[in-house]
Amino acid sequence: MTPLVKLDGLSKQYGRTTAVDQLSLEVPPGVVFALLGENGAGKSTTLRMLMGLEQPTRGKATVLGLDCATQGAEIRRRCGYLPELPVLYDWMKVSEIGWFTAGFYDDQFLPRFHQLAAAFELPLDKKISALSKGGRAKVALSLAMAHEPQLLILDEPTSGLDTLVRRQFLESMVDVAATGRTVLLSSHQIGEVERVADYIAVLHAGKLLACDTLENLKSQHERWVITFASHEASLPELTARIISHEGQGGRRQQMLVQRPGPEELWRLRDHPGVLEVEVHTPSLEELFVALIKPAGQIADRPAHDRTGSR
Amino acid sequence: MFEINPSNGIPVYEQITRQIKFAIASGVFETGQMIPSVRELARQLAINPNTVARAYRDLQGDQVVEPVRGSGLAVSSGARALCRTERGKLVRQRIIDVLDEAFQSQLSADDIRQIVEQELARREAKVK
Repeated sequence: MTPLVKLDGLSKQYGRTTAVDQLSLEVPPGVVFALLGENGAGKSTTLRMLMGLEQPTRGKATVLGLDCATQGAEIRRRCGYLPELPVLYDWMKVSEIGWFTAGFYDDQFLPRFHQLAAAFELPLDKKISALSKGGRAKVALSLAMAHEPQLLILDEPTSGLDTLVRRQFLESMVDVAATGRTVLLSSHQIGEVERVADYIAVLHAGKLLACDTLENLKSQHERWVITFASHEASLPELTARIISHEGQGGRRQQMLVQRPGPEELWRLRDHPGVLEVEVHTPSLEELFVALIKPAGQIADRPAHDRTGSR
Repeated sequence: MFEINPSNGIPVYEQITRQIKFAIASGVFETGQMIPSVRELARQLAINPNTVARAYRDLQGDQVVEPVRGSGLAVSSGARALCRTERGKLVRQRIIDVLDEAFQSQLSADDIRQIVEQELARREAKVK
């Protein structure tokens, strides 16, 4: 399948600051794809470059086969885009902004906008300036969805919204995906991403740290909780990649390991001084935290980790 | 109706298959009854539709539900007995896990028996 979105070494530099650092990834059609990262990780800048609102310093990106650097207007016409801070004409009524925007799209836009507005319980005759933050967000999402775009791009769609509106937004996203269309969203809400996303790209300081299906990310990692007989006990040589290691020197240590072989776990269990090893599937939050820890803190790896050939 | 916790270590699709099987075992869904569509359940739980679809494929593979032409998935005949057996297995596994934990924390078989008896007695007292 041809990817709907393709990033190839995409980079953005603001002066000396690298906001996005050689990002390469592909978004397949029919999935919910989440860019997960803290504030300032480069998520919004990436999405803005995809919409042609920001020019990349280096690299290339295409959306629906269109070049983001030169065909931004066409991309914006074909995709639904909800910016982090949507700009709406405050003096218009909800019905007016729907009618106004409908002018850019086909005949079906307005009836669909009215449907969405009704589902979100938006008052059509109220001015945008009189709406709550949640109300404004609902208008912006309705406008982004009313032309039933193949690709819906949402920048932090639920941040700052109350529980009820959040839930409605998640339901809408799920519904778009259920009709076979694609959603690309950015978020720092790990719990939400874990619910709705098929694919997750973890972004930190502009760099891509992981990109895979949620299922693969989880199944390729294990969280080991190791209990030692004494403080003096040591670990055997391990060849799996250790992503994080907590409580070193203590009797109870915790490790997040990537793709450990079964023989490795047995070796650890048989190692003198090791009383017990519990194996858990990490939650996305545990994975995320382990991945974005500053390099210095990541895995004080045992010296013999060199033997790891991956 | 269903409760999903995406971060409790059990894959979400498995949480769905389990809960649907439990619902069939207890008669919430009867033989021949339609289960919610992928779209409906995804929306209801606010979870990824592909995850729901995967759970439904598993349920079909286990012959718990079967496609009804043009309208979705219905509970198969014989599913209830199947789901009851499965529920028994799952509960047994959980008891085994708890026993492992109890033995690891140095409780004796008699200690455990005593706890189980006490808890069962308390429940029976409540019911009466």
